[in-house]
Amino acid sequence: MSGTVELVGVTKRFGSHLAVDAISFGIGSGEFFSLLGPSGCGKSTTLRMLSGFEAPDEGIIRIAGQDMADVPPYRRPTNIVFQRWALFPHMSVEANVAFGLEAEGRPRAEIRSRVGDALALVGLSGFAARKPGQLSGGQMQRVALARALVKRPKVLLLDEPLSALDLKLRHQMQIELKRIQQEIGTTFVFVTHDQGEALAMSDKVAVMNAGRVEQIASPQELYDAPATRFVAGFIGHANLLPVTVDGVANGLAMVRLGDLHFAAALRETSIGDMPSGEAILALRFERVRIGAGPAAEAAGAAGAGVARATGVVRQMIFGGASVQYVVGLDAAPVEITAEQPHGAGAPVFAQGTPVTLSWEPADGRLFKA
Amino acid sequence: MAASSRRDGGAAGRAKAERSAWVLLTPMCLLMAVAFILPVGLFLLYSFYRFRGGRLEETFTLETYWRFMTDELYLITIYDTLQLAVLATLLCLVISYPLAYAMWRMRSPGLQKLIAFIVFAPVLVSVVVRSYGWTVVLADQGPVNFILTRLGLTSGPVSLVYNMTGTVISLAHVFLPFVVFPILASMLRLDPTLREAAEDLGASWWKTFRSITLPLTLPGVVAGAQICFTLSLGSFVTPAILGGGRVLVLPIQIYTATSDINWPVAAVGGLCLLVMAFIAVVAFGRLSQYSEAV
Ligand SMILES: Nc1ncnc2c1ncn2[C@@H]1O[C@H](COP(=O)(O)OP(=O)(O)OP(=O)(O)O)[C@@H](O)[C@H]1O
Ligand SMILES: [Mg+2]
Repeated sequence: MSGTVELVGVTKRFGSHLAVDAISFGIGSGEFFSLLGPSGCGKSTTLRMLSGFEAPDEGIIRIAGQDMADVPPYRRPTNIVFQRWALFPHMSVEANVAFGLEAEGRPRAEIRSRVGDALALVGLSGFAARKPGQLSGGQMQRVALARALVKRPKVLLLDEPLSALDLKLRHQMQIELKRIQQEIGTTFVFVTHDQGEALAMSDKVAVMNAGRVEQIASPQELYDAPATRFVAGFIGHANLLPVTVDGVANGLAMVRLGDLHFAAALRETSIGDMPSGEAILALRFERVRIGAGPAAEAAGAAGAGVARATGVVRQMIFGGASVQYVVGLDAAPVEITAEQPHGAGAPVFAQGTPVTLSWEPADGRLFKA
Repeated sequence: MAASSRRDGGAAGRAKAERSAWVLLTPMCLLMAVAFILPVGLFLLYSFYRFRGGRLEETFTLETYWRFMTDELYLITIYDTLQLAVLATLLCLVISYPLAYAMWRMRSPGLQKLIAFIVFAPVLVSVVVRSYGWTVVLADQGPVNFILTRLGLTSGPVSLVYNMTGTVISLAHVFLPFVVFPILASMLRLDPTLREAAEDLGASWWKTFRSITLPLTLPGVVAGAQICFTLSLGSFVTPAILGGGRVLVLPIQIYTATSDINWPVAAVGGLCLLVMAFIAVVAFGRLSQYSEAV
């Protein structure tokens, strides 16, 4: 109960603009929970409603079982780490971290020891006397974290705290943040627009789009079983192919893409509202296998139901660990991207090479068009 | 070889950029030379001349300086000048900070604009007209005294005009925009998330104000005070009209001395003002450095 968060039908409007649209979900105590979504989807607004800086127009927010409707920010069991950290520029690191405890009127000795502990937790013990202006981005980030954590909130809110850091530092801070969260066991509500970050760090992720929650699931579930077309496109990299469903047989949908006919597995959830007619097939880049042409030779190979398509490499994008091939299909006016691990004898196909693509029925997921 | 020639090119480019910077600075330098350095030089020269029997003698003497340091009349003048500037600045600050704060927190942009106009309005009115206006408003039979007496706050009229009080009020009135707007600007520059962070950390309004808002807007306060103080030092018309001859300030004395062709007194008076303004600017600068350091 201590660090739980519950939102029931929470709605926020700015004028006529619906920023958050009747979202409902629960966060367990000690969970690392991420709000993931594109810019402007209402992540910050949701977080600001949790911290008390915005009041919901409708709905109920409960933190640690208590209704937050009339509780001002300074009395909530939450603390926030702002996107640009919002450190007090005229105060030393120590004074920044001590600020919240001074406001509570804690005794001096307690403030001293708790500030010391908080700075040690984030690895900044030697920096107490510095001003924020004399710190690097990563260090400022840690101060902001220490300043919030020293208050021992039941729920820590983080609004894209890593987005201002460069890539290397971001990865380092992700690991660090996860370590700290596991060490103190506080509930973290983490806002990010970076799906990689959300997958890497979270116990659970809520994917938001245009003020709504599209799916709440563990990172693995989100990746393996996206519930909506938006999630399928937003998490990882997927080809979104416009297909026509011709019928269903043995739990497989028979789909058509131009002159290409193949089978696609039906999702458990989609049986009720089985897409018929126009549909979208989401196919992850890394599930598409690529082999040398011509098609005739490949067509004879075994593997019932395996979809095969011939095409020509239009573009090769070398990404170090993997290579992406953008392939223009012969049978339909679409492009499919295939991703292959690089090295270990994997052949490299230059631009203009005829190739054959193949994938299993279970690799594609059908969504309503 | 190629690299070194490129480096030479870079140096030449830098020299060119420096030259064009000097070209841009030339008008300002010329203006400074003609309007500031030259007159100050002349002042210095005149300040050492002797004035006797209504005539100027071009002989070197420190007599005028000596009189400024010992003669009671001059000491009172210097004291009055300082007092006027200090009081006007304090009154301005006391009115401006809450006013700027209110304008900053105001939700309605229309009201904000209206208040900005009211604050700015006195600058649009001629100083002579405004000063006579204040003499009417503050007179013994004027509306302010009428209200004070009616409310029973005073038994008889309080003398608000033809003394230091009226002069300070009128000066503070006209210098208000020069103090309000720098303070408002420093408030608008303040990152709003800093105050949210303070509130999130459990700080009351007062704690947030005392430890975040005030220290971070102090540079605006210092800039406003600097402007108000130096402008007050040089004010002439307002103390002349509203002081009723009881507020002896250096500019009035300089004016009188000039009409008597007493150049040495005018010159030393002018230098006095210059030194006071200079000290004030340096002192305020120190203060703002301190506010940035805490
Ligand atoms: N104070 C406000 N007044 C009016 N509209 C607002 C306000 N705050 C947010 N909005 C709007 O509400 C929507 C959601 O904003 P929000 O800041 O929650 O997005 P976000 O998901 O955090 O995006 P980002 O990743 O860019 O930070 C946006 O369309 C935004 O323009
Ligand atoms: Mg945001």
